[in-house]
Amino acid sequence: MRVYQCEDSLEGVCTAIYRAYEEHADHQDTWIRTDQELMLFGEYIPVESDSERAEKVLRTLRRSFGQEDLERLGMALTTPEADKAQAVYRTVVHGLRTRPAPGHLLDHQTDPYILQTFRLAKKAGREFGQLREFIRFRELEQGILYAENCMKNDVLPYLMVHFADRFPQEDFAIRDIGRELMGIHPAGGDWYLTGSHALGEALRQTGYSVQEMAYEELFRYFCHKIAIKERKNIDLQNRMMPKRFQKFTIEFAKKGENC
Amino acid sequence: MCYIYIEQMFITENFGILEKRRFLITRFRDNEWRRRMEPLEIAEEKVQIQVQGVTVDNSSLSLMEKLGILADSAKYDVACTSSGVERKGNGRDLGNCVKSGICHSFSSDGRCISLLKILMTNECIYDCKYCINRCSNDVPRATFTPEEICRLTMEFYRRNYIEGLFLSSGIIESPGRTMELMYRTLYLLRNVYRFNGYVHVKAIPGAPPELIRMTGFLADRMSVNLELPTAEGLRELAPNKHRRNILTPMRQIQNGIQVNRHDLMLYRHAPKFVAGGQSTQMIIGATGESDYQILNVAESLYQKFALKRVFYSAFVKVNEDKALPALPGGPPLLREHRLYQADWLLRFYGFEAHELLDEKRPFFNVMLDPKEDWAVRHLEQFPVEINRASYERLLRVPGIGVRSARRIVAARRSARLRFEDLGRIGVVLKRAVYFITCSGRMMYPTRLEEDYIVRNLTSEKDRVQFGSDGMSYRQMSLFDDGQYSLQPQQEDAYRVVTGQL
Ligand code: SF4
Repeated sequence: MRVYQCEDSLEGVCTAIYRAYEEHADHQDTWIRTDQELMLFGEYIPVESDSERAEKVLRTLRRSFGQEDLERLGMALTTPEADKAQAVYRTVVHGLRTRPAPGHLLDHQTDPYILQTFRLAKKAGREFGQLREFIRFRELEQGILYAENCMKNDVLPYLMVHFADRFPQEDFAIRDIGRELMGIHPAGGDWYLTGSHALGEALRQTGYSVQEMAYEELFRYFCHKIAIKERKNIDLQNRMMPKRFQKFTIEFAKKGENC
Repeated sequence: MCYIYIEQMFITENFGILEKRRFLITRFRDNEWRRRMEPLEIAEEKVQIQVQGVTVDNSSLSLMEKLGILADSAKYDVACTSSGVERKGNGRDLGNCVKSGICHSFSSDGRCISLLKILMTNECIYDCKYCINRCSNDVPRATFTPEEICRLTMEFYRRNYIEGLFLSSGIIESPGRTMELMYRTLYLLRNVYRFNGYVHVKAIPGAPPELIRMTGFLADRMSVNLELPTAEGLRELAPNKHRRNILTPMRQIQNGIQVNRHDLMLYRHAPKFVAGGQSTQMIIGATGESDYQILNVAESLYQKFALKRVFYSAFVKVNEDKALPALPGGPPLLREHRLYQADWLLRFYGFEAHELLDEKRPFFNVMLDPKEDWAVRHLEQFPVEINRASYERLLRVPGIGVRSARRIVAARRSARLRFEDLGRIGVVLKRAVYFITCSGRMMYPTRLEEDYIVRNLTSEKDRVQFGSDGMSYRQMSLFDDGQYSLQPQQEDAYRVVTGQL
């Protein structure tokens, strides 16, 4: 039994897949792991991430499965689950053997690995969807829009892509508090990720713009007014908008509350 | 700051005469308009006074007060952003549109807040009996200026509060004048503030067609409210409105969309007209129509007017009027819920109105959802064999939704499906068991008998508890029993990380 141990990133897993194919591994008896836990009787092979090889793998996958399925694989890898790399690896092996039509890579759900990939992708996809909805930006003194949130899955890059398309001419930053990561988008430029600790603290020190409080107040008032009191249904509200997101939104949060 | 002239299409006071005028509009470079805005003042105490029903002089209202009055008046309108408009950002202007729609918050009634939903004005000259803004009511009145609406939309949008603007209006002076104001607002929003996000606007019945047409080029979705399901109902409760006046702009928009589709085939860059299609809304329970009548109206709207959505809005009694029903149990929410379920069956499950209800049974079953109800009355069509039945037949099984039916069809190509697999695929087994077989066998012995099945279906403890915490309004499309959800899939919605992979 061979175990490739790689970095917990898309690049790491792709490099490991490359190695597995390069070394003609017997896929039924090969594992890819991103965690450090040891399995009994395994031959451990540490894998150094390599962007060139990862790029090659991604190109092959895109060509064979199409963009949509590739994104699902990527989404599955954003989850913290220990077996995600293995699930994605075996899904890829299955896909390259059977060559499903684009969009159908995860159809074969009687296979436990494919089912797992599907589940993970769905889970992370749901969180991404929720963050896209519930993230709130606040305008700082210099006109920078700043948002922070706790993310169970590592979906910050996906959020950056979404908001960069939406606010091309804004300076904005999104901070993933748990991972201490920050995505930065300068107006009119390309976004990038960086460690957030020092920067985040610095941004926190800056005050809000003159307008900020006024608009927050306006929106709070709007949310209050738009509700139909004859249909009041707080349970439903909480179900649709889980508490962990509520505390980061200005219409629910009490001042100073966070993660 | 530089001044420029913007040529604007404009309707003069005597409506119908279209002329071009040149307007002096201040244009700011890039995002400069934002920095130049005077700070907003907030007057909370004043709001308190106004809430108690004292009419406040409009000219002295703060933005906050106007927002309060005009959001309050717009809250009964239903809208949803999942209209299928996908528009990438253009790298310059603020905003894009996502096909699946995005809700941004949920209000205390559990409905989603995705758009800045407001009226342009509530200074209405009509007297619809069911409406809080009718001219015979003494309520605070307010009118937004186009600039105020633009500013609110832009500032809310860039903080990710909203997905766009939903603009409706009471009738100020005349339908034409109202529509003109709305057009000016959208024009400003799109061309001066350069907003590229989602806009849903109401077409005002009785406004000049040309004005409606021009507005359509600025909006993603347009809707004309049908208000009440039948012409008689309308005559009774909305004396100033006429069925024909409502259907005319609806037809016009439908034709406009068709013509535009053709234009777009010829010229790829032709401007888009109401790209998200049109919708409408009916009030349920204010007049005496049966569910069967309402469903028939909806069906013909889908067929004859090619509407994208029909929204149903449970009547909330805000005025004391002897022409209005009493509704001691509050708004008819369960009825509204059943109508949405049935609406889903019409649009995505291949059902027709006459299959679900008929003259003899004109109302929906309170205990069973419309699909279960249909199934127990058509037991001769069951059980359905999961591994062989066509997609269409699978769709008719209670507990199987559009998404799970698709997944069944996809998965059974590579392996025979067993009951264990169905659970994973998303089939609600406890409802489906009575109606399906896997490889010829039922999950456990059940009787294919109406009484027996009804008893079992209605005894589940975890069924939709209606009223207390029953139904979900996520984009008005996802019902919590799972099977009616054709909400665009989240897993499809993240097709964004393109460059990153
Ligand atoms: S037209 Fe009728 S429904 Fe609309 S605001 Fe005026 S009174 Fe209300």
